[in-house]
Amino acid sequence: MASVVRLSCVCRRGFKPLFYQSTLLPRPLAIPHKYQEQPHLLTARIHASQALYAGPGSKAASLHWTAERVLSILLLSMGPVAYFNPGPVIDYSLAAALTLHGHWGLGQVLTDYVHGESKIKAAKASLFLLSTVTFAGLCYFNYNDVGICKAVALLWSK
Amino acid sequence: MALLLRTLGRQGICLSRPQYTVLFRHAAPMGTTAKEEMNKFWAKNTRLNRPMSPHITVYKWSVPMMMSITHRGTGVGLSGAISAFALAALVLPGNYPDYLDMIHSLSVGPGLIGLAKFGIAFPVSFHTYNGIRHLLWDIGKGFKIPEVYRTGYTVIGLSIVTSIAVALL
Repeated sequence: MASVVRLSCVCRRGFKPLFYQSTLLPRPLAIPHKYQEQPHLLTARIHASQALYAGPGSKAASLHWTAERVLSILLLSMGPVAYFNPGPVIDYSLAAALTLHGHWGLGQVLTDYVHGESKIKAAKASLFLLSTVTFAGLCYFNYNDVGICKAVALLWSK
Repeated sequence: MALLLRTLGRQGICLSRPQYTVLFRHAAPMGTTAKEEMNKFWAKNTRLNRPMSPHITVYKWSVPMMMSITHRGTGVGLSGAISAFALAALVLPGNYPDYLDMIHSLSVGPGLIGLAKFGIAFPVSFHTYNGIRHLLWDIGKGFKIPEVYRTGYTVIGLSIVTSIAVALL
């Protein structure tokens, strides 16, 4: 739901708005009823340039930020597990976590340095393709070859 | 009944409103999002052909700055290496141990092998330790300038020590 506005409650008369985001500006407005009946109008103005529709009041960016940190911590915990408990489960988990962490990290790099709607679209599409191929390749390696943990062990035994 | 409704109303309890409707009477959503504003800014820059202000060429480099870009550099580098490995796995014939034997048969000296191992271990260590430093910042810890430098030097020291130790394994 792109236009979720987080607010506790409003009562009918003499309310004090309890909102935590000031994306809503208090303005004398003659169309409250119309707005109440058609909140989806907000989503109509969203640009199609991102996978997560982020209109005003959307928590998409904030949730993405949190997900990035959670994944980072998860990836950190996978290190010791991979060392002490190598095997296919950790191989595929590493493949997923590494690919996603890299995908999101490179996404931030793109956001910082690439500007212009069409350029951003092209760059994000290329990144998605790269990440997909990366994940596919790692899974193929896990399935048809020795797997990530064994590969590191073999490399180091040289 | 009226008293009950008035009491409930005063305490602000939602009775029958759907959850996601905006209920302010005198509020409207802002015209644009931050993303839209940013895009407008960059579009204007391109349209007016504005030159980029000197920034990294004029600002004095500091340890935190260098560590930050190194974190990004190691991240991009490691990601690229993983993608190259995955692509190679898909495209190249044969399997991994054979390729390792092929490299082994080149009989590179132990010094160079150690150096290569350090070359792999250092980006991983640095990115990992600095990543932990980032996560500490994310929970609000270590923002004072002396702390930034202290944690920074710790990360650098730990990275070097870990990389040497791992390379000697």
